Amino acid sequence: MDITYIGEWTWAASLGRLLIALAFAAGLASTIGYTAAVRQDADRRWLAMGRWGFRVHAAGIFGAMALLYLLIFCHRYEFQYIWKHLNDAMPFGFMLSSFWGGQEGGFLLWMGWILVLALVFLRRNPGRLEAPVMAVHGGILTALSSMLLGLYFGEFQFGLDPFLLLREQPQNAGLPWTFNPDYLSLIPQFADGQGLNPLLQNYWMVIHPPTLFLGFASTLMPFAMGMAGLWTGDHSSWMRRAVPWAFFGVGILGAGILMGGAWAYEALSFGGFWAWDPVENSSLVPWLVLVAGAHLLLINRAKPGTAVTATYLMIGLSFLLVVYSTFLTKSGILGDTSVHSFVDSGILPQLLAFLLGCCALFCALLLPAGRERWVFGGIQSLLAIGIAVADPALCVMAMLALMTAAVLRGHLGHLPRTDQESPLWSREFWMFVGGMLMFASAVHITFQTSLPVLNHFLAPFSGFFQGIFESTGSPLARKLAAHDLAPGTDFDATYHAVQVPLAFLFIGITAFTQFLRYRTDSGKGLFLKLLRSLMAAIVLTGAFLLAYDFAAWEAPRVALLLACMWSVTANIDYVVQVLKGRWNHAGASIAHIGFALVIFGAVLSTAKKDIISTNRFGDLAMLNEALSNEEDLLLLEGDTIAMGPYYVCYRERRQEGIHAKFAVDYYETVPKAYLPGEVVARDGFLFQCHTAHTASPEFQDDLDDHWTFLPLPNDRQQREAIAWSAGRPGPFAFTLDPRIQLNEQMGNAPEPDTRRFWNKDLYTHIKWGRVTDPEADEEGWMDGRKHDLMRRDSLIIGKSVLALDSISAVTLSQKPAFGLLDKDLAVAAHFRLSGGGPDTNFTALYIVRDSLVIPDMVTVAERGVKLRIDGFRPAEATFETVVWENLSVRRDFIVMQAIVFPQINLLWLGCLVMTAGALMSARQSRRRKKMAAAA
Amino acid sequence: MSRTNIVVILLVAVLMGALFSVFTTNSESVVFARAFSEPGMEFKVSGTLDREHPVLYDPEVAVAETRFHMRDKDGDVREVVLTKAKPTGLEQSESIDLYGRVVDGQFIAGEMLMKCPSKYNEQSHSLGEATAAN
Repeated sequence: MDITYIGEWTWAASLGRLLIALAFAAGLASTIGYTAAVRQDADRRWLAMGRWGFRVHAAGIFGAMALLYLLIFCHRYEFQYIWKHLNDAMPFGFMLSSFWGGQEGGFLLWMGWILVLALVFLRRNPGRLEAPVMAVHGGILTALSSMLLGLYFGEFQFGLDPFLLLREQPQNAGLPWTFNPDYLSLIPQFADGQGLNPLLQNYWMVIHPPTLFLGFASTLMPFAMGMAGLWTGDHSSWMRRAVPWAFFGVGILGAGILMGGAWAYEALSFGGFWAWDPVENSSLVPWLVLVAGAHLLLINRAKPGTAVTATYLMIGLSFLLVVYSTFLTKSGILGDTSVHSFVDSGILPQLLAFLLGCCALFCALLLPAGRERWVFGGIQSLLAIGIAVADPALCVMAMLALMTAAVLRGHLGHLPRTDQESPLWSREFWMFVGGMLMFASAVHITFQTSLPVLNHFLAPFSGFFQGIFESTGSPLARKLAAHDLAPGTDFDATYHAVQVPLAFLFIGITAFTQFLRYRTDSGKGLFLKLLRSLMAAIVLTGAFLLAYDFAAWEAPRVALLLACMWSVTANIDYVVQVLKGRWNHAGASIAHIGFALVIFGAVLSTAKKDIISTNRFGDLAMLNEALSNEEDLLLLEGDTIAMGPYYVCYRERRQEGIHAKFAVDYYETVPKAYLPGEVVARDGFLFQCHTAHTASPEFQDDLDDHWTFLPLPNDRQQREAIAWSAGRPGPFAFTLDPRIQLNEQMGNAPEPDTRRFWNKDLYTHIKWGRVTDPEADEEGWMDGRKHDLMRRDSLIIGKSVLALDSISAVTLSQKPAFGLLDKDLAVAAHFRLSGGGPDTNFTALYIVRDSLVIPDMVTVAERGVKLRIDGFRPAEATFETVVWENLSVRRDFIVMQAIVFPQINLLWLGCLVMTAGALMSARQSRRRKKMAAAA
Repeated sequence: MSRTNIVVILLVAVLMGALFSVFTTNSESVVFARAFSEPGMEFKVSGTLDREHPVLYDPEVAVAETRFHMRDKDGDVREVVLTKAKPTGLEQSESIDLYGRVVDGQFIAGEMLMKCPSKYNEQSHSLGEATAAN
């Protein structure tokens, strides 16, 4: 029975699926055509088939993208993708980003960029490279479009359909409403969608994913060219051709990653721009490897046949690691090791097949042409079947071992090797070393990120390690046997201990390598050429060290800062000394300067970040060392208190659109003046001022000249004493509005607000804040709060300070006045409410009549306070009280964190400089290639 | 032996060291019983919020102290202290990873990761249920 649904764009669902299916089929045809056309004696018609297949495929994918955007702009909420990632409240910019809010759109975006780059490649006279490069593209694009097919084979899901209607979702199948032709107008949920996760509703989310996906896509072109080189056996011409593509990728991917950092810094409240999160790492790693690969390509351009295997590996891995990161983040295998919290989308087998297939194909091509490749392919396929039917971990490990063997076989066998050793002080040698160090850094990060995967690999050896543990007692063996490793939270131990020394080395190498020449031992006089920049770097780094106060244990960090600074000065010096100021030839130098600035800014701002919001209420730290947390500040509405170099005042909460904004005013600090007679408290002691003075920054400096110690203060002095402070609030400086984004469907999310200075950022975010008024009864009384009070204890209630001044027993003569019986036992507690006008005194009674406690509720309506004594502990002279506060006097409060990040602007500046430099290098190489072709 | 080979050998040495550090510096995912048997060691404990006990957070008393009960993978329920302000969405969380150690018979966590249904999860289940009645 066919139902014609009213108002539903059924045609769009059919058209979208048709386009995807068409793209899949055409991609397959293109792959076959181009593959057959690789042979030199191939029929021209194969090439035509490949080209037409590619065109149809491109049309299908671009068509599907256009259709998805049409659905977004028309708010077609009957589609599950639209319903999940869009709602009516989202402005135009975020409508753009709802396209890549989910995995399906992410795949489409990735493919779109691959197609754009492939079209550019085709327009640039690819010649003999066309067929193999496009065959690889065809294969990858076909595999990617299969991720969008959304077919079910029983339980097995093949792809995620971006054009799935909500009523067609498996969990809705068979529900009565799905048979109602008019369900769209009958069910109110279809009137509006869910909307993007509030964390994603940020302008960075509009530009970060497209840039990152362009970066991902740009790793495919060098990879495909490398595959073409292996396929055709021409190991040198592709390398020349791939240089500009590789550096384009370096620039774009680098920018994309740092944009992610900027987004995290601005929109997420984890307090920084980098958290070594699996998702961040998985885009950083391909970049590191791509940089290594791009430099190896440069070496090969200058001296063909150098480190050919390493070049193939780096270029191959940069793309394979992109696929691996796709696998990690989309398969759900990371589980809950990431704040990004990815969920298994049901296509894990497909993603794993894609990943292993790409790796196996690449390794097969590293083998000599002929039988070995087929044998390798056969064994890999058998092992792949083994994953499904036997032990997955063992089979995957066997596949990886076999791939490693194939790489070694290729290296020792047919891949060309040069007999000519590079001189020690030649440019290519140090470029090679630098590249390998970057690779080492990438491997370490990959292992850290892949802990959940490593746990799977350790599982088969659990018994083995258990045996070692039982015989040797080694805690490491026990850890391995349990195969449940989790990422540590101490980044200094897990990441920085390895990454800082590696970065020190490879950034140091970027400082001097350009001064060396290719192929020749040009070390003579090198030191003199470098002396100037090295001196400048030492002086500049020294200035930073003085300004930011480093400790001895931070030596590795300081060395890294020095290396970065030297890289900056040396590369500037190179442009001046060697290039004679021709900046348009200086792409490489500019990129190195930018990279060094990024690392310099990242290291300095992270190492010297200063959390200036210290916790002054609650004394957890006194109770237990492990509980010490001095990072958050409680701010009562209207109170002005010192925070770092400022005085801050939480002024008001207001709602603007979907944000609750908390306005916090900042005031400069000015020195405080003290007059004779004033009493201050310092470390529990009281002092009285005897001469008028302006406070010094340290109390000790004023003590002898201006203060008298009060060993036995009287009551009045105790009451009037205020905590000593060097400053008082001065002129108003600025206001920051940290926010909480209100989202009923997805939960509220805090968003930071940052004040930018040229040399630092002041970054604040709300750790806790009320977005609605608290619950209260009809008269406005909120839930009571228990307090144990002794004489002279005080606490803040609403706008008043409640103090227990004295305790007295109720004598027989006083009892009638209190309305008590003669047999009652009663203790009177004399309270005082002060602040904001004359004090209010009242007395609360603790009454025991016939061993029953008679509740005595005291209400001070004008101050909005109610109090009752529930118990009295004579030994400690302590009253157990319950205190109520009225909504009318309640003061709102927030818990805020404020961090100063010094010199963080160097990081963003470096990002711009590096991207510009890498793109300039890409352009330079292209020009150079053209000139070489013309000559 | 060529210089390139020396570089590669050094590289392999560095990688082995890095790999070793991966295995030694990272913590372990365990259940409460193990964490309580080795006080002072940092562990990761995963589980779910026990909704039978309230989540206690009173910023006026302690800004950075949240107390709640968590049920670990063995079904063991313990009170834990998180030394942070109460994270938004704790009550809605589906699963919790705590990174911390046992001090004086109390599991104290300095870091916490939550998996929330709100983030990337399928929300349409609720639609299916909500509309099933129609």
